[in-house]
Amino acid sequence: MNLIYLGKELYHRKRRTLAAVFSLAVGIAILITINALSKAYNEAARMPLKEIDADIVVQRAGNVPENLVGPVFACSAVTIKKDEINQIRGLQGIQGFGQALLLWVFDEDRFTIVLGFDPDNPVGPGTLRSQVTQGTFLEKGKNQALAEISYANNYNIQTGDNVTVGGKSYQISGIVDASRATKIAVANIYLDMDDAQRMAKESEQVQNVSPFESNDANILFIKANPEQIDALARSIKSIIGEKASIATPASFLKHLGSLFSLSDKFSLATSMIALVITILIVLKTMAGNLAERANEIGVLKAVGWSNKDVVSQLLGESIIQCLAGGILGLIFSLIAASMLGLIQVNIPIPWEMSPTPHFLPGGGDPVFKTLQLPVTISWRLAAFSILLSTTIGAVTGGLLSRHISRIKPSEVLKNE
Amino acid sequence: MNNILTAANLSKSFDSLQVVKDVSLTIQKGEFVCLVGKSGSGKTTLLSILSGLEQPTKGTVSINGTSITDSSENELALFRREKVGFIFQSFHLIPTLSAWENVALPLFPVKMDKGIRKQRAMKLLSQMEIDHRAAHRPSTLSGGEKQRVAIARALVNRPEIIFADEPTGNLDSETSGAIMNILKHLHEKNTMSILMVTHDQDLAASTDRIIHMKDGKVVS
Repeated sequence: MNLIYLGKELYHRKRRTLAAVFSLAVGIAILITINALSKAYNEAARMPLKEIDADIVVQRAGNVPENLVGPVFACSAVTIKKDEINQIRGLQGIQGFGQALLLWVFDEDRFTIVLGFDPDNPVGPGTLRSQVTQGTFLEKGKNQALAEISYANNYNIQTGDNVTVGGKSYQISGIVDASRATKIAVANIYLDMDDAQRMAKESEQVQNVSPFESNDANILFIKANPEQIDALARSIKSIIGEKASIATPASFLKHLGSLFSLSDKFSLATSMIALVITILIVLKTMAGNLAERANEIGVLKAVGWSNKDVVSQLLGESIIQCLAGGILGLIFSLIAASMLGLIQVNIPIPWEMSPTPHFLPGGGDPVFKTLQLPVTISWRLAAFSILLSTTIGAVTGGLLSRHISRIKPSEVLKNE
Repeated sequence: MNNILTAANLSKSFDSLQVVKDVSLTIQKGEFVCLVGKSGSGKTTLLSILSGLEQPTKGTVSINGTSITDSSENELALFRREKVGFIFQSFHLIPTLSAWENVALPLFPVKMDKGIRKQRAMKLLSQMEIDHRAAHRPSTLSGGEKQRVAIARALVNRPEIIFADEPTGNLDSETSGAIMNILKHLHEKNTMSILMVTHDQDLAASTDRIIHMKDGKVVS
C-alpha cells in the first residue's frame, strides 16, 4: 500500500471521500446515540432506587386498617415474616440487604409517618446519614428519633426535643432533609428498627390486619447483581406471593411510558436498522467510486501492479475512510449526548411506594423523581463503534476491491 | 538470438468472433516496428497479447526468450512491471497524482527507497524536458505534456521493450511530431525496442519496419 497515493486519492476526491465518511459518521452517530439514550433511560429508571442504594424494594399489599387509631400498616405495606425475609436473603445474586418498617401513627393530636430502620446498615434509609442538617444521625438502642425537616418545621421540633409517637417518647437526635435525597422511604419520624418493631407488635390495629412478630418487617431493600435483578424479582415474588409489590429499575422504566418500556428492544432494533442502512450506503458509495475508477485500476495492473497490490491499496483507502467516519460519528454522538443530557425526565414513583396516606391532603398527588437524563458514552461503546466502522471498511473494501482487482486491463484501456 | 519478441501462430477469439488470426512475427532487439491497419483490423488486440495484457486463444509469445503464454496473472503482472513499458493514446495518468508520482507509479509496489524512486522519476521528467511540471497534476498539463509524462512512466522500470498504442492519436500534428521525436530518440540513443500501433502512415514511415494488418492477419 502506497500512503502518498492513498492520501492523495482521499484528499483530491473530496466529494467521494466526504460522502463515504459522512454517511458512515451519521450511521455510527445514530448507533451510539440510540444506545447511549437507551442506557440513560435505564440509568434514570435506576435512580429512585439508587438513592437508597438498592436495586429492589419489596413490599406486600394487604387489607385496609379497620380503625385509624394508633400505629397501623398502610395497605400497601403489611407484614413480611422473618422466615420469608431469611429465604429472600439466601437467594443468589444478593449483594446487600436492608429492612424497614413503615407505620402510620394516628395519635390524638397529629398524624405521623414513622419509618423504622437499622441506622448502621447503608442499604435503604441508612443512606440518610449524609442528609443530616442538624444534630446527629440515629444511634441504635438509645431511644432516639430523627425528624424530617418539613415535619420538624411544622411542629417546631428541635434537636434534643422529645417527641411522642404512638404513646412513647423519643429524643430527637437530628433533623434530616430526606426529600433532597430520596422519594422512596420518606417519613416524618425515623426510629431505630427495634423501636418500630416493638410499636408494631404492640399495636392492636396492626395485629388485626396483619399479624406481626418482633423480627418481622414490611419493606425490604435489596442491593443485587445487575445481571440478576429480574431473576431475583421473580424468585422474591414466588416467596412473598401474589400480593408482592416489587420495585426494580425495569418496573420504573415501565412507568416512564410505552416507548421506553420497550427501550432495550427499541434501541436494538433501531441500532440494527441504522447499521444495515449504513453498511448499504457505504457499500453503494464505495462500489460507485470503484466503478468510476475502473480505468485507473486497469492502468495500475497494466504497469505491473498485482491483484494483491491493488486490493491492498483499495482496502487501505476503504479502512481509512471508515475509520475517519467512525471517529467523526463518535464526535457527532458526543455532541448529541451533551445536548440530550439537558433533557429533564420525571420518573413517576408508584403510589404504593409513596408513604403518605391517600386520604390526607396531597397524599393522592403523583410523586415524581425529576432528574437530568444521564446520557454518557462509555469507552466500551466508543471503542466498539470505532472497531465496527473499521470492520465495515475492511469487509466492504475487501469484497469490492477483490472484485474489481480481477478487472482485465486490456478491456478498460482500449482506445476511447 | 537477437529477437526481443517472438510470436508464433497467435489467434484470439471473443466468443465466435476471431479478432487475431494465426499471426507470427518477430521484433529484434533495438528495432522500432510499427503496426498499421484500419480500425478493427486487430492491431490493438495483437498489441495487448504481445505485451501480456491479454492471453491468446492459441499460439505463443516470448519476450527475450521467456514465454509469457502460460503465465499466471500475477506472473504476468510481474513481467509487465519488470520488462515492459506502455504508452497509451489516452495517456491514462492517475488524476490525483502529480506528474512525478505518475511516473513513479509502476515502482509503488516495489520495495525501494522513496528518495531513489523520486530521483528516478525526476531524471526521466528531465529527459522529457518537463521536470518544471513535476509537481503538477494531469488536469493542469497540456496533451503533449501528459504524453511526455506517460512516456517517462513507461521508462521508469527500465523496460526491455515499449508498447505504444496510438501514442499521438490525441495530439495535434506539431505535438505528435515532438512525441515521435522522443520515441525515435529513445530508439536511436538508447537502442530501445519499440512496437507502436498507429494508423498514421507518415509516422509509420519514420520507423524501421512496418507490419500491416488486415482482418486480424498480418498481410505484409
